[in-house]
Amino acid sequence: MVLEEVWTSRFMWFVYALIPCLCTGEVAVLPAPQNLSVLSTNMKHLLVWSPVIVPGETVCYSVEYQGEYESLYMSHIWIPSSWCSLTEGPECDVTDDITATVPYSLRVRATLGSQTSAWSILKHPFNRNSTILTPPGMEITKDGLHLVIKLEDLGPQFEFLVAYWRREPGAEERVKMVRSGSIPVHLETMEPWAAYCVKAQTFVKAIGRYSAFSQTECVEVQGEAIPLALALFAFVGFMLILVVVPLFIWKMGRLLQYSCCPVVVLPDTLKITNSPQKLISCGREEVHPCTMAVMSSEEIFRVWIS
Amino acid sequence: MKLQCVSLWLLGTMLILCFVDSRSLRKCLISTDMHHVEESFQEIKRAIQAKDIFPNVTILSTLETLQSIKPLDVCCVTKNLLAFYVDRVFKDHQEPHPQILRKISSIANSFLYMQKTLRQCQEQRQCHCRQEATNVTRVIHDNYDQLEARSAAIKSLGELDVFLAWIDKNHEVTSSA
Repeated sequence: MVLEEVWTSRFMWFVYALIPCLCTGEVAVLPAPQNLSVLSTNMKHLLVWSPVIVPGETVCYSVEYQGEYESLYMSHIWIPSSWCSLTEGPECDVTDDITATVPYSLRVRATLGSQTSAWSILKHPFNRNSTILTPPGMEITKDGLHLVIKLEDLGPQFEFLVAYWRREPGAEERVKMVRSGSIPVHLETMEPWAAYCVKAQTFVKAIGRYSAFSQTECVEVQGEAIPLALALFAFVGFMLILVVVPLFIWKMGRLLQYSCCPVVVLPDTLKITNSPQKLISCGREEVHPCTMAVMSSEEIFRVWIS
Repeated sequence: MKLQCVSLWLLGTMLILCFVDSRSLRKCLISTDMHHVEESFQEIKRAIQAKDIFPNVTILSTLETLQSIKPLDVCCVTKNLLAFYVDRVFKDHQEPHPQILRKISSIANSFLYMQKTLRQCQEQRQCHCRQEATNVTRVIHDNYDQLEARSAAIKSLGELDVFLAWIDKNHEVTSSA
């Protein structure tokens, strides 16, 4: 009888001890998320994990973080993530949580109704200075003779270092710092018929790191059409002048010659041949009207003129 | 005459070294995202200062007092004030609201990073604390001790803009935005 009472009291004690666990409803029956890792590119940080599968149910997840300060000075403090207090997908954008260049601890747990899993902690704390920096996208355009670059907008933490040069041996490479992307920036006023090349890299001041350079892009500047036409016109005009002016001078010379010093040429109709001509002379000496004389052509001409 | 020349030469050399040293100190914190720290504080400034129940008392003293700190003492005072906030102020403040807690965490972790950067930068250089710098730090600690820890912490948090403005001025940190 005494033994039975002892066993009964112990059994009841065991049941009473279990009551708190049964009443709170926070029994860790869900498995904790596994394989936590952070994927970080260009200062965007994504915490991912293997999903907890419960057939026919939607499992939610909660994420908390702890900076190095908290882990050193107040290790009991975990801060709920800005965007992932209860999220459905097995990932969480923790960019707005990781705001200093120190190691951050991250933890996740699953929730299904009143059930919650244990916390699963990221194996190695994440520091944002390990983010992968990619070469920036860039668009090179020509505005007349102006070389203009437009860079990818990567956010306020990114600056750009742009290197550009004229594509010829021994050309000097110039460098320009561009504070933010998405706004076209003038690099250089180019010379016609020259080629220019450009490449760029990003710089993140918060972590003191540069990305690799982008692929080099080159542009060539054509000369303007109007000056070429002008050159052609000038050449044709010059050639015309070379031909026309001497011709004109020669013509003017001939004209002046005829005007000032004409050469008298007896027309053919007035020329008298050596054969005798029967002409009547009408000079002062009276001549019998019926007198006929044989005169030479010169005598006839002299008489005709007088 | 010779003695005068030597004295002048020594003085000139010291001045040049001090100038170079103070200028190089200014580049130490240049990789810190101060703009983000200032932005974080501005978002919680009103809420923090509203909790300050001793408006007529100051812990960091006035901006003019900090402004009177000489370039030679900038490194020491920066180091000491960062330690003041990291070791005392942030620890003594218990913040219940998650939004404010996130901003305070951001500032605290940024200060931790600044301490590391300052330490690395100054490994090769001397960051001696002269009496004047030590006095300024002691005054700040004494002011803090005169109040109850939580009230002192709230007040010091509310005066963060004074400290951040002083850092901006003395370390020539350019914001990244």
